[in-house]
Amino acid sequence: MSSAFVRATALASALGPGLDAASGRLFGQPVPPQTLIGWPYRAIPVEDTDWRRRAQTIALAVAADLRGRAGLPAWRWAGLPCLLGSSSFSIGASEGEDPALERPSDFCRALAQCFGAGGPVIAMSTACTSGLSALHAALDMVREGSFSDVLVLGVEFSNRLTVAGFAGLELLSRTCARPCDRERDGMVLGEALGAVLVSSAPAEWRVSALAAGLDGASVTGPAPGGEAMAATMRSAMSQARWRPGTVDLIKLQAAGSPLSDLAEARAVRALFKPAPRLVSLKGAIGHTLGASGPAELALLLGALARGRVPPTWGYEVHDEEIGLAPSGGAAGELRRVLFNVSGFGGSVMTLALERSG
Amino acid sequence: MLLLAPTLVSLTRAELADAVRARFGSELRRLGVFTQLAQVGAQACLEACATGGRLGVLLATEHGSLTATRAALDGGLRRGEPVMPSTFIATQTSLAGALLARRSQDVARAACVFLEAQDWPWLLRIARSWLAECERVAVGCVHEAAQGEAHRSHWCIFVRQAAAPAIHCEPAGAGAAATTSDWIARVAAWRDAPDGPLELRGNQQAWRFTSRQSSA
Repeated sequence: MSSAFVRATALASALGPGLDAASGRLFGQPVPPQTLIGWPYRAIPVEDTDWRRRAQTIALAVAADLRGRAGLPAWRWAGLPCLLGSSSFSIGASEGEDPALERPSDFCRALAQCFGAGGPVIAMSTACTSGLSALHAALDMVREGSFSDVLVLGVEFSNRLTVAGFAGLELLSRTCARPCDRERDGMVLGEALGAVLVSSAPAEWRVSALAAGLDGASVTGPAPGGEAMAATMRSAMSQARWRPGTVDLIKLQAAGSPLSDLAEARAVRALFKPAPRLVSLKGAIGHTLGASGPAELALLLGALARGRVPPTWGYEVHDEEIGLAPSGGAAGELRRVLFNVSGFGGSVMTLALERSG
Repeated sequence: MLLLAPTLVSLTRAELADAVRARFGSELRRLGVFTQLAQVGAQACLEACATGGRLGVLLATEHGSLTATRAALDGGLRRGEPVMPSTFIATQTSLAGALLARRSQDVARAACVFLEAQDWPWLLRIARSWLAECERVAVGCVHEAAQGEAHRSHWCIFVRQAAAPAIHCEPAGAGAAATTSDWIARVAAWRDAPDGPLELRGNQQAWRFTSRQSSA
């Protein structure tokens, strides 16, 4: 089995349609979210009243950024497979003038074409872990030697159905997301298109493991003790042959939810004594659901490329019950990162990333 | 890789509720048509073969949960109201794994894959990868039909080894054209009267199916 590396990433998020600018803004002063149907929402700052045209504009911007960073010759893109994760696909287009429900595979093929990826297209949905599920399948393809490069997209574009659904479940904050904070009162949703080019060619970050698990406690939330998340982190470290004491940073799932943040904190505290440095990115770009894996991976690696761990927007007041304190600042000799994502349907995933060389 | 228990469930809209009650002893409350179809088919398949161990659940569909999604779009959303929790949950196609886990299955991985009709061979490739972590992978192709047509929930199980008679699967160079809708049905029909290997293709991939005895 070959190793797999992150060859290039790109991102459109509430921090902007480009990764470099977004990484910079992440270190700046937090800004409040916009709103969608009356709820706080982290929208990509691209204006267009036509849903499909706006989606294409965003996709083409991310594609241009990714292709510029990847350095692949044009002929390699022509046969490149594209694995795509989303929970809502193009449902936003069906809320307006175009009420027909489009096949998700058609939407995904159109997105892949924006990137010039002419190989097979596979769309996966595992709710909030959809993007990492797509990455998981891409890693399998690269490690088996089927393909040397695979494009992974995580996409979640603005739609009222998802916001209304989460509002109905009483999972949203009325103000902003405060991951791990004592005053946290729910999540804020967001939109993003995250792109990750996975490759067998050595690059700065190697994917040492990606572990998946399933928490059957409830279809909408984790077991209170965070046992599935702990098991998945333990599995990722075991696959990567890491000891807990060698992990430098954990990118938390934490979205500002009272119970889910606590369950993840219990999982971290059960495995790590003391906990390594921690960061959550959902205060800055919102919970981007199926896009969150590739989107947060792109944002985190973009921030670390600046030599710093980003701050956790919304975290201000320590919570004794959580017992964890996310902290930004100089990255120093940071080499090993665990990256947690979990979601509806009990899906839990942990990615283990190691700086190579 | 071995294939077990190709299971074909086909139900009209009126038959689904009875099938759910017959299989599970009660209604599956809060779940949409798509998820109920997936549960009925998966459970029938799992009961048809005595396998155990960590389970992967790979669910393929072309359109997903049509009824629930249309209901959510046509409901209070137009008036800017919250969508009822059960309505929203019913739109989620990726619940099959969690629901099977709640029925005492040891589910390790689960995903819903949206595939075009010719792309079914990817299911076998993904299942083969998952067998590195799972002892068995249940693969289902679920189609929630429009009014007047029959719903379809076709399932099979892939394992690395099996004590019972099984169907051996391996990549092939060519085969007859098959689709996501019919490949499990064609394997099931061939299993009942095998006449040499069955070779099926979709897009640019083909798979050969042989009875385990003939491939030994």
